[in-house]
Amino acid sequence: MRRLVQIPEALVGLGILAVLVVMALAAPMLFPGDPLAIKGAPLLPPFQEWSLPLGTDRLGRDVLAELFHGARTSLAVGLAAAAAAIAVGAVIGTLAGFAGGILDETLMRITDAFQTVPSFLLALAFVSVVGPSLTVVVIAIALSAWTGPARVARAEVLSIRERDFVAGARVIGMHPLEIALREVLPNALPPVLALSSVIVASAILIEAALSFLGLGDPNRVTWGGMIAEGRTVLRSAPFLSIVPGIALVLTVLGVYLAGEGVVEGTAVRKGLS
Amino acid sequence: MSRALLLLRRRLVGSIFVLLIVIVGTFLLLEAAPGDAVDAYLVSTGGDAGLVEAMRQSWGLDQSAATRLANYLWALLHLDLGQSVAFSRPIRDVILERLPVTLILMGASTALSFGVGSALGIYAGARPGSVRDRVLSTASLALYAVPGFWLALVLVIVFAVDLRWFPISGFETIASGKTGFARAADIARHLVLPVTSLGVIYLALYLRMMRAGMAEVWRLDFIRAARARGLSRRRIVLAHVARNALLPLVTMLGLQSAQMLGGSVVIESIFSVPGLGRLAQEAVAMRDTPLLLGIILVSAILVVLINLLVDIAYAFLDPRVGASEASA
Amino acid sequence: MSDFSLTRRSVLSGAAVLLASTALPTIGWAQEPQKGGRLTVAADSEPRNLNPAIVASNGVFFISSKVVEPLAEADYEGKDGLSPRLAVSWEGSEDGKSVTFKLREGVTWHDGKPFTSADVAFSALQIWKPLQNLGRVVFKDLEAVETPDEHIAVFKFAKPTPFQLIRNALPALTSVVPKHIYENGKIEENPANTAPIGTGPFKFAEHKAGQYYRLEKNTAYWGKSEPYLDEIVYQVLPDRSAAANALEAEEIQLAAFSAVPLADLDRISKVPGLKVVTKGYEGLTYQLVVEINHRRKELADVKVRQAIAHAIDRDFVVKTIFLGYAETATGPVPKNDKQFYTADVPAYAFDVAKANALLDEAGYKAGADGKRFKLKLLPAPYFNETRQFGDYLRQALAAIGIDAELVNNDSAAHMKAVYTDHDFDLAVGPPVFRGDPAISTTILAQSGIPDGVPFSNQGGYKSAAIDAIIAKAAETLDAKARTDLYKEFQKKVVEDLPFINVADWTFISVASDKVGNIADNPRWAVSNWSNTWLAQ
Repeated sequence: MRRLVQIPEALVGLGILAVLVVMALAAPMLFPGDPLAIKGAPLLPPFQEWSLPLGTDRLGRDVLAELFHGARTSLAVGLAAAAAAIAVGAVIGTLAGFAGGILDETLMRITDAFQTVPSFLLALAFVSVVGPSLTVVVIAIALSAWTGPARVARAEVLSIRERDFVAGARVIGMHPLEIALREVLPNALPPVLALSSVIVASAILIEAALSFLGLGDPNRVTWGGMIAEGRTVLRSAPFLSIVPGIALVLTVLGVYLAGEGVVEGTAVRKGLS
Repeated sequence: MSRALLLLRRRLVGSIFVLLIVIVGTFLLLEAAPGDAVDAYLVSTGGDAGLVEAMRQSWGLDQSAATRLANYLWALLHLDLGQSVAFSRPIRDVILERLPVTLILMGASTALSFGVGSALGIYAGARPGSVRDRVLSTASLALYAVPGFWLALVLVIVFAVDLRWFPISGFETIASGKTGFARAADIARHLVLPVTSLGVIYLALYLRMMRAGMAEVWRLDFIRAARARGLSRRRIVLAHVARNALLPLVTMLGLQSAQMLGGSVVIESIFSVPGLGRLAQEAVAMRDTPLLLGIILVSAILVVLINLLVDIAYAFLDPRVGASEASA
Repeated sequence: MSDFSLTRRSVLSGAAVLLASTALPTIGWAQEPQKGGRLTVAADSEPRNLNPAIVASNGVFFISSKVVEPLAEADYEGKDGLSPRLAVSWEGSEDGKSVTFKLREGVTWHDGKPFTSADVAFSALQIWKPLQNLGRVVFKDLEAVETPDEHIAVFKFAKPTPFQLIRNALPALTSVVPKHIYENGKIEENPANTAPIGTGPFKFAEHKAGQYYRLEKNTAYWGKSEPYLDEIVYQVLPDRSAAANALEAEEIQLAAFSAVPLADLDRISKVPGLKVVTKGYEGLTYQLVVEINHRRKELADVKVRQAIAHAIDRDFVVKTIFLGYAETATGPVPKNDKQFYTADVPAYAFDVAKANALLDEAGYKAGADGKRFKLKLLPAPYFNETRQFGDYLRQALAAIGIDAELVNNDSAAHMKAVYTDHDFDLAVGPPVFRGDPAISTTILAQSGIPDGVPFSNQGGYKSAAIDAIIAKAAETLDAKARTDLYKEFQKKVVEDLPFINVADWTFISVASDKVGNIADNPRWAVSNWSNTWLAQ
């Protein structure tokens, strides 16, 4: 952690993320009730009324409240999708790498198949077909993102599985599945986790693009949904899409910077040890 | 050349299983969708019960899913992609019409992102840790964080509506009668904004990979040796560091080609470019299963071909590939 | 809600247009019409079938009405609101079993062959009656079409069919296609369905999928010195903001069917060289309707339905969602319909307290969290406005303790969920009012419609009284008596609320000042544009 602080980019990234987390946690306290509730005259510009500092949208909803609650959904989507993608990818990659043979071959061809289909197209088709809700969007993003972690995990497992502690576990008579999941997987995890910042960031962007195409969950505020709503008035009320747009860019940037910082930080530590 | 052929054969054999999984998966996904092609069609027309039933029958949607999948695969064996229900035309024609547009769009965007990205990457990576390195790589990250559709909307307003430097949309001027060079120039003018929107985001990717790769290479022994030999810095950067750092970028090129079609869905609809990405979105909306299958098949084949080219390029760039090929 | 100058202005202009549809005909009167030029128009979709005789829908008409003509077109001043096209006169018999059309002479098809009564007979019997989405209702009892000479067609009905209905159906349902092109082979697979051949002022030239349609001037058109334009190009612009941008950049000259979002109209009306035209769509009124699934126990109670009607602030909907470009609805017939509309129906004023009281009365008391029950709300995805109204309705229902969850389906999924699977509690739909209740609004109240029929009563509603009125009107020949029956229908529907009408809206065009003679009839966007011209 101390090393992290020495890299200015990482510091900026962590700072952005901290603000974001505070926003997400504080949203229900600062703006209780449904953020989609109609609070005032529609299309009120920012800084006009004290109670609605960032103005209102097409229906008269409080943009600031939407922004705070949007932080919750964007973060939730990003983290949930990344967690799901990494979990699924790590398990599949571990199984493939550890078992080898026909199971490996099958799992890797399935991975190939998923990588052949453009991931955004897959997410788009999945959401159109199942119908957009937050869970479906998370699953769709995870579906298109698990292949990277799977490949990395498999490569890592291939190098681990011949090591002493694995052989040791075999000797005590542990079930192969138990060895794979309890001994090998945890050790293969670090390089897989290094992918998480990229996956979180791209999950947030994919959610935004899906919302932009009208495939968002209408019961929840998301920044992508706000941009999509605001784009019909992009020329006359640009703040409606600029405000969530900036939030989105800053968040994604924060995730990248912090992620790189962590990787760089660990690299430095490794180099020193 | 024979090595390339061997590579091709191995790829194709492996690809057949992959394609089969893709086809069956896509088919099942659309099969699970609520509403079929007739439902999608009725949105704009309406109609009574008799009409709806007659339509399902004439479009073959009254058959079971298994029968339709079997029929599709059987036709595919005969290289027949089938008939599009949304366009009532052979799918082969519909796709062939759009393929060149997609190839031009993707090719130009890739060239832009790869060319400019790696050039800037070399510039930044020539002095790792310098101010210009930090500024360039952070700026490129910021660019990478911008949603593509957002960038596109802004570019349209600035460069097409306000400045009128470029046309707002389309692939070429409608029924202009232009041919040859004039037509190519016309298409190029139309594609400046979509190519920029699509390419700029990946530009950051290549830039960052290049500078990260160069940072690694700088540490290697042979660079120290080259320095010791007193070679000019410029020569070391270009001939040794950058050349070696280029390899992972070429691999990335292959991986990225599969993803571009997805990214182009939004860009093609914002700029009204008649490419495959937009067609795929329409196919989903119209529940045109055979059309979506056709597009995904064609794009998968493209991906396989591009990766093959990447492998060949790799072989040229890095003589070690020949040795490691057997184990790959 | 504070006073809002922008909205108020547009409310006034919108209302004025809808109420006074006989006001100033067009805007381009200042100049003499000019010949020549290419008109480029925004198109947001590419219809699969361009044959308006088979598919009577606005998306198809928008393009094909310039190529294929109906027997008569809607008109602001003409008798019965019609002006002649391929028919010059029409007359119904006393017994309601025959209608005689006198056809226009000297008309040729685009391939040079003469247009005769045989083409009309063929279109009516082989296409409108068996294949057309709406013709299947109106012409279901059409038995034969007699052609005593080349320019007279006599429609013979097996059962009395109201002449009023036939007349109202003429503009949309009677596109005539050439017999010699369609008589061989399967009509649904005829190549002319994608490259139509007609008698209209423009010939179909080409379609580049994903890019454009191009129509060319028909130099042999029957209309004297018409058409004015050399070419019409429909540029496919799938993105919602593209039309406004293209107009501003002068790449297109016209965006019809509200292709420019309502929210952008105020800004674009100030752009020099562009005009916003609210006329020309009176015959294509869309109704914003809350469809109700009466299988749901709570919604089967009329008190609950009335509570929902009281919870909706119709003025807010018109002002905020439609930015004034709509009219509040009082019942199942829009106010701008001069034949059938009646204001003599119960009113449901916006009254949250009353709505809450009705729900308490119905026995659905609010729980500790203030909620009475949960509902699934499916707004139709076809229009921005239906989606936005869905967002609004969720909030309006929350105010009376009903917790509505929005389901955001795409078009195909929405069709299936609402009209086949009945997997909804409330839905927001945009049915079209087609100038006669028999071919539009009654289908939402009538019982006994099979599952899967789009835009019909799939909510399981059944009222013997309403069914009886609809059945009686279908065989009432006298126009006055028939109109009275439909007035009774409106009253009954608003009393019992099988569905709730919220607003009625028509579309808006944005055009370059150079375009002349636009919006000169109530179906202008889907009429033949033979007198539309472009200043050079």
